[in-house]
Amino acid sequence: MILFLQQMINGLSVGSIYALIALGYTMVYGIIKLINFAHGEIMMAGAYFAFLIAITTNLPFPLVLVFSMIMAAILGMFTEYIAYKPLRNAPRISALITAIGVSFFLQNLALVIFKANPKIMPELIVKKPISIGALKIGTVTLTTLVLSIIFMIILDIFVKKTKPGKAMRAVSEDKEAAMLMGINVDRTISITFAIGSALGALGGVLYSITYTQVFPTMGVMPGLKAFVAAVLGGIGLIPGAVLGGFVIGMIETVSKAYISSQWSDAIVFGLLIIVLLFKPTGILGKNEKEKV
Amino acid sequence: MLKVQNIDVFYNKIHAIKDVSFEVKEGEVVTLIGANGAGKTTILKTISKLLEPTNGVILFRDEPITKITSHQLVYLGLAHVPEGRRIFSKMSVFENLQMGAYIRNDKSQIDADLEKIFHYFPRLKERINQPAGTLSGGEQQMLSIGRALMSRPKLMLMDEPSMGLAPLLVQEIFNIIQTIKNEGTTILLVEQNANKALQVADRAYVLETGKVIKSGTAKELMEDDSIKKAYLGG
Repeated sequence: MILFLQQMINGLSVGSIYALIALGYTMVYGIIKLINFAHGEIMMAGAYFAFLIAITTNLPFPLVLVFSMIMAAILGMFTEYIAYKPLRNAPRISALITAIGVSFFLQNLALVIFKANPKIMPELIVKKPISIGALKIGTVTLTTLVLSIIFMIILDIFVKKTKPGKAMRAVSEDKEAAMLMGINVDRTISITFAIGSALGALGGVLYSITYTQVFPTMGVMPGLKAFVAAVLGGIGLIPGAVLGGFVIGMIETVSKAYISSQWSDAIVFGLLIIVLLFKPTGILGKNEKEKV
Repeated sequence: MLKVQNIDVFYNKIHAIKDVSFEVKEGEVVTLIGANGAGKTTILKTISKLLEPTNGVILFRDEPITKITSHQLVYLGLAHVPEGRRIFSKMSVFENLQMGAYIRNDKSQIDADLEKIFHYFPRLKERINQPAGTLSGGEQQMLSIGRALMSRPKLMLMDEPSMGLAPLLVQEIFNIIQTIKNEGTTILLVEQNANKALQVADRAYVLETGKVIKSGTAKELMEDDSIKKAYLGG
């Protein structure tokens, strides 16, 4: 029982990282209907930014985190401006292929700059177990979970209560109508990329601390799983990404612990197929009809 | 207020608007009438810069809008009630109205205008926290008009506000247009319901396949035999 609870907490922690990355996929999809396949690389870049700041300065963890998130946000806005904005009115497949191109570009750029061998992420969070009753939870696990939940709450408040957040929802529903309200659609899209990328970087930093490594292809697998999480929860829906992330994290952890670690990825992706067979719009997705 | 001078607009390679000119003066209600596909919606979309004319100039409050974008026009005092209402259906009625006031920061004035909208459309107040998508068609149209009014426009473009509504609701919508007019807002109204439109309008332009074929005061056009035959049902 204790072991099971322990696994559940690990699952939640891994899941919260997937959820953070999934938020970037889902927000960008929500606003420009693009699956941003380069998002995993933004996450990787965030981890490298944190790595660089950590080895060159003595800044404490919170500042390392904030700076790497800001840098990733700028990188995200920059890729949108360079690669996606010119394709705003092109067929969706063009933007999708471009996203794959950006993904390869960033991966190879990291390969050229940092070389292929993994770098050891400095121990930004002091690792020691904390005992809660009979449970032992690592500081990294706990920090990951707490930070993720804090940022998800901030995002929720931003989207529901603030003017730019509401503008974002308006743009994601109807760009033309949003323009007619005086909303600057280009800027709103840019802000969406910035927020998604910053959350992706947060996920990347936490991921690299958890697994103690940074390397150029580190964004591929978590990026793919986060994408699966976003689709599983219902792509375009913020609560869907969070739910999907946690579900994937839990299933992965539980199947690693009780079934087989080699099978865990197959189980995760198999689950996606099953859910989509019965509910193609994802767990929280709705088929909406227009009212006449 | 608005001067449209010799514009040509292509819509999906179709020459939709051919050398159209007209004018809306301050305080007027002007209506563009014409059958489906005459180019009415295209003209409104061109005025709010959702479409670009290939020739011609549009002046809004004496300034050419050639280099101005859609969202900047709202700051200059243009509001557009689009065809098909285009409310934000996943957002609440209240949030939709807030989006209408997006360009404003004067909270107390915004609250006063909200009250005014709820006075015009009491049913919106009853449904203030409901997702706008759950409203009936008529209520959505009211919301779309209310949303446009929230920006305190100088000129309001209205695209088929009575489309698809039951006769009682049509009357209600036209009563509101009259009220908005009485409060001094200039209106450019596009309608298929020429009868109703001419009753509320000062002047009108008749469009046929992308061209202005007739213009005059609403009264003159209501008495014009060919207009009666083509648009007023006898």
